[in-house]
This record gives sequence, structure tokens and C-alpha cells, in this order.
Amino acid sequence: MAPLISVRELSKSFRTFKRREGVWGAVQNLFVRDYHTIQAVDRVTFEITPGEMVGYIGPNGAGKSTTIKMLTGILVPSSGEVSSNGFVPHAQRRQYVKTIGVVFGQRTQLWWDIAVIESFKLLRRIYDVPQRDFDQRMEMFHHVLGIRDYLHTPVRKLSLGERMRCDLAAALLHQPPILFLDEPTIGLDVVAKDHIRKFLRQLNREFNTTVLLTTHDLDDIEELCRRIMIIDHGRLLYDGPLALLKQKLLRTRQVKIVLKDSEQVPRAQSLARDGLHLESVDELTYRIRFDRAAVATGELVRRVLDTVEVRDLLIEDESIEEIVKRIYAGDALREVSA
Amino acid sequence: MSLRNVSVVYKKEMVDSLRDRRTLISMVVVPILLMPALTIGMSSLSIRLMNRARQEVPRVMILGGEDSPKTTAALRQSPGVEFVPATANYKDEIIEKRVRAAVEIPPGFDAALESGEMKKVAIYYYEGEIRSQFASQSMQTFFRNLRERTVSQRLAARNLPESILKPFDIAAQNVAPPEKVGGNILGGLIPYMVILLCMTGAMYPAMDLTAGEKERGTMETILCSPISRTHLVLGKFLMVLTAALATAMLSIASMTVSFKFAKSSTGAGMSEARRAALANLTLDPKGVLAVFAMVLPIAVMFAAALLAISLFAKSFKEAQSYLSPLMIVVILPAVAALLPGIELNTRLALIPILNTSLVSKELVTGTYHWNYIALIFGSSCVYAAVALFAAVKLFQREDVLFRA
Repeated sequence: MAPLISVRELSKSFRTFKRREGVWGAVQNLFVRDYHTIQAVDRVTFEITPGEMVGYIGPNGAGKSTTIKMLTGILVPSSGEVSSNGFVPHAQRRQYVKTIGVVFGQRTQLWWDIAVIESFKLLRRIYDVPQRDFDQRMEMFHHVLGIRDYLHTPVRKLSLGERMRCDLAAALLHQPPILFLDEPTIGLDVVAKDHIRKFLRQLNREFNTTVLLTTHDLDDIEELCRRIMIIDHGRLLYDGPLALLKQKLLRTRQVKIVLKDSEQVPRAQSLARDGLHLESVDELTYRIRFDRAAVATGELVRRVLDTVEVRDLLIEDESIEEIVKRIYAGDALREVSA
Repeated sequence: MSLRNVSVVYKKEMVDSLRDRRTLISMVVVPILLMPALTIGMSSLSIRLMNRARQEVPRVMILGGEDSPKTTAALRQSPGVEFVPATANYKDEIIEKRVRAAVEIPPGFDAALESGEMKKVAIYYYEGEIRSQFASQSMQTFFRNLRERTVSQRLAARNLPESILKPFDIAAQNVAPPEKVGGNILGGLIPYMVILLCMTGAMYPAMDLTAGEKERGTMETILCSPISRTHLVLGKFLMVLTAALATAMLSIASMTVSFKFAKSSTGAGMSEARRAALANLTLDPKGVLAVFAMVLPIAVMFAAALLAISLFAKSFKEAQSYLSPLMIVVILPAVAALLPGIELNTRLALIPILNTSLVSKELVTGTYHWNYIALIFGSSCVYAAVALFAAVKLFQREDVLFRA
């Protein structure tokens, strides 16, 4: 399938100056500035096909938001090429943005002091949405997001979850085939997060909307995206299926055991003497972490069961959070390329 | 150029501002209530304070004069003055304001008046203290009268006519119509106020629409919409201009109304001084309209310049620290026009703000120098265009829009 979004060797650099410390440093800053260039996004290349939902993750300052801003046309790339929905975003911005929706989780495009419906009416005019379509979509948004109850409330009085639903509706008023989400679930409670995710899944299913979302919440990714892109220091570190990342990077696995009674405790501790990595969780619960490449899971379980009597046993994979932490720390992807 | 998009942005900002209490206060409440309260209140307060100072009975010391009973006795008859016994530390007493003035009568003063010998009467007072000046004035009046009486007596004794010392009289008569007199007094003040209010009225919305928008994080979202940046900045600019003009117009309107009201209530219980002060507050409405026409390009310049400068700021607070010193930059030329002796010339006609302030001073007194008016209006338009161009250009620069 032809890509909907195509990014080639995309770079963005900012010029900033180093701030010196202290009062004297501040005075010096006024006269001599030590400029240097920050490579916010460094030769990033990827393609996204229609209907894909892609998770874009990276630590703070990695270049996620800068990429989104270039894809939405508000920043001009320093070098490289972007094409999205047949447009060059920054060059054909006005026509292009009528075909995309953007939500910044920490920002809102709704008027702070004014009833939500007024913002919607304004957006209807800005995006030239016919009144009939507008009414129809408002009905639909109410159906799936339940926003009608607070349409006449000023935005500042809405909860974060309610505001996010309204922001999503606002971004989708002109029914764009592409949706960019910058940390859409930030600060939301579990129920609100769940609601937003359900809505996004439905949107993708029914309208085949292509979604690119940045997040710090890996549950977002696990629940929404099959594909994940990881960026750090402006470089794209990984681009591929989430499952593959797990499979390749899953290094350790853990077995959690609950002992039958306290008599088993000395025996459990003998396991540690035999070279197993044993952590106690509470009096009767222990966690054994092992390298799954070196030890077969079945072998380990047999050894444990031979030694102690257990009431319960649970085998767990390393969490995606742990994997991503290792990626950010910089040692994980060497293993993938190896 | 699509005017529709500009008007969409303008309407949005307008609605937004009108719901914002801070904008409403700076745009509507301050000019309507504060300005007349300040001008009328201040003048009536100062008149009242003057009267009260005048009504106080000042305490005065007479130093010496024991051998001049005639003069001291006459002096003690002066109305509205209380004489207290002399002390050696009379200077300290005056400085401490326990005594308002002291009169030193030289020894043998009565005798000298008879013999024609010249003596010097010294009056001690506290310069700058209005009550002390009043006391000193009434002492001076007494001795001036005494001197004149003495002169008349001496002339009469020698059989000489009084006209030998006073060969003719001088009479000065005002022919200027009252609105011109008012214009001269208020003339400098009106343009100064209009210019200043244009600035203050534009300041808050300019900061709110740029730095405030950055701070709230709505800048990115509005930039994502299919409105070009030029339309966006023009819409914002029009909103700031509206605020500037509305502030100036409302304040002038409310001042006119309150002057009218103050005048119609002239009646019993109003002091002569106050009535005279109010009689001078007559303005030529044509002149005021002309001032507004001249201020228009200045308002455009302010709106654009304030918008451009506060766009640089990352936060509302930073914008405030940029714009506050700018206030002085504007006040200085506006005030300079009020200084006596500064007259319009070709060079001054090219200095922004000062030129408008100067020509407006002439306009309210009904003087129209068309050459200067054309030159000033033209140059102000050029400055305004430059400022607007700068604002539009700055809005295209992402290092300014996303400065962090």
C-alpha cells in the first residue's frame, strides 16, 4: 500500500546559547553568547500507511514533539523531506491542515473562558464544515464521547478528562483522515484513559483514521498500536512491530512463588545459594529473576518445585516499561542489531 | 488576502477579551471612572486644600519694634493673623511650623519714618509651605500699604502730585474666546491623555494575545488551524487597535460628560475659584475630533509595536517587563510637548508621538497648520506601517513563535 505519510532524512536543528551560572554568568550572557546548535531531530526516516496506528515514544526532549510539529506544518524542517496526505506540510500548510486533526495533551484549542460549543462553532467556520455535517458529527461525538452534557460549560470548569474528550471532538470536527496526538492521555485517570483509548480504537476501525501518537504511557501503546517508533537524541532507534521489540529485547523473565508455609523458607533460601537470583517480596512470596537465553523456563520451574513446596507459581515477562527503560539507558538496541 | 479569516480571528479575540475581566477593567472601567475622577477630583481637591490653608489663622511673631509703638500697634490690627510673643529661636519655630512667619522691625523704625531715614523690615517665612507664604504675604501687604501711605504723605508735605510716581496706568484685557483659553489649559493635556490611554489600552490585550497565548499553550493549536499567520496577526492587531481606541474614546467621552455635569451643577455653595476653574474647561469638539484623527496612526503604531514586542516574550510576566519601560519612552515625548516654549518645526514634526502631541495642542485651540498636519499624519502613517510590517514579519519566524 502506498504510504500516507512519508518522512525522509528529516532533520531539525535549533540554535541556542549556553547560559552561564550565577549572577556574573548572567551578566556575561548579556555580552558574549556561546551559541551552539541542538539537533532536535536528526535524519529521521519512516513511512506510515493509511489506517495504521503508530506509537511514537522517547524520553523528554527526544524530539517527539518537534517531529509532530514538522508533520503538522508549524515548523519548517532544517533538511529532509516530509510528505503527508499528498502535501508538503509547511509549504502547503493551509490546505494540508484541513485534512489533519491535532491534539496536544497539555494544550487546548478550546477557549478557556467560553462555553465549549462556542469553540466548536468557531472551528466549524475556520474549517468550512457545512452545518448539516457539523450537526451530524456533533451527534456522533455525543454518542461516543458523551460530550453534550458539558457543551455549555466554560472550558476552565471542565475536568481534564472532559476537556480531552472535547479537544478530540474539536480536532475531528472536519473528519480528517490523519490524527496527530501529542500525549493524549497525560494526567488522566484510569477510567478517562480507558475511555479515550476505546474512542481512538473505534475511530480507527470505523473511519480507517491514521493515528500517530506520542506518549509516555506504554499502556497506550500496548492497547492501541501494533507498531512502535522509538526516538532519542533526535535519532530514530527502533521502528517496527511492538511484538518484535518485545521478542528481541525480552531478556529476563521472572517466576513468582508463594511458599506453602514458613517451614519452606530455609529451603527457598537454599535456592539462592545454588546461584539463582532470589528476591523476597514478603515473608512467603519470592521472586526469581533469570536470563531466558541462559536458562530454560521449564528447567527452572522443575528445579524450584523439586526444592520447595509452593502454593502458587506465576511466570511473568519483563514489562515493556523495563524494556523501554533499558532502551533509553542506551544498552538495549545494541542487542537488537547484534 | 481573505478578509473573512481576519474577521474570524478578530471576532474570536474580541469575544475572548470581552469575557476577560482584566481586559474589561483596563478598557472600559478605568477610562470611564478613573480618568474623570482623577482630573476633576484632583482639581477640586487642590482647590479645597488651598481654601483650607487660606482659612487657617497664621501665628506670626513680631521681633523688635519696642521703640516703634505706632507701627506695631497698626500691625497688630492686621486681620486674620494671630500674633504671638517673640522668642529668640524664631527661625526654629518657623521651621517646626509652630509659627508661620516672623517680622523683624528695625530699631527706631517709627522715628525713621518721620525723619525719612531708610530702614529695612525683614520678613522670615518658610518657602514652599503654602500657609507660611500666606502669612508672609499678609505681612508684605501691610508694609507695602504702609510704604505707599508714607510716600503719599511725603509727597503731600512737599506739595507734589501723586502722578509723579505713577505717570500712567496699565490695563491688560483678554480677547481670546473662552474655548481657546480652555484649549490652552487643557489643550496640551488632551492629546497627552489620548496618546497615553491608547498605549495603556493596547498594552494588556497585546500581551494577552501573544505571550499570554504562549503561556496558556494555545499558540501551537491556533497555528495548526488553516488560518495563515498573516491573517492571524492581522486579526490580533485589529483587536488590540480596537482596545486602544476604545480606551481613549471612552475616557474622553466620560470626561466631556463629567465636565458638562460639573458645569450644570454650578450654583450655591460653589466657590468663586472653582467656578472660574470650570469656566476654563470648555473644549472645541471639532478640535477633539481632529486630535483623534491625528492619533489614529499613532494607535496603529502602538498596537503593532506592542504586539511585536510582546510576541518575543515567553510569558506574560516577561512581556510586562518589556513593555513597562516602553511606557516611559512614550510618556517622555508626550510630556515634552506640554513644556512651554516647544513649538512645532519641521524637524520636530518627524519625531513620532512628540509631533502628534504638538500638533494636537494646536488643533484643540483651533489652529490648523495644514502643511504640518499633512507632514505629521504622513510620517506617523509611515511609522505605523513599519511597526505593522515588523509584527507581521515576526509572526512568520518560528524562532520567535516557539522561543523557549
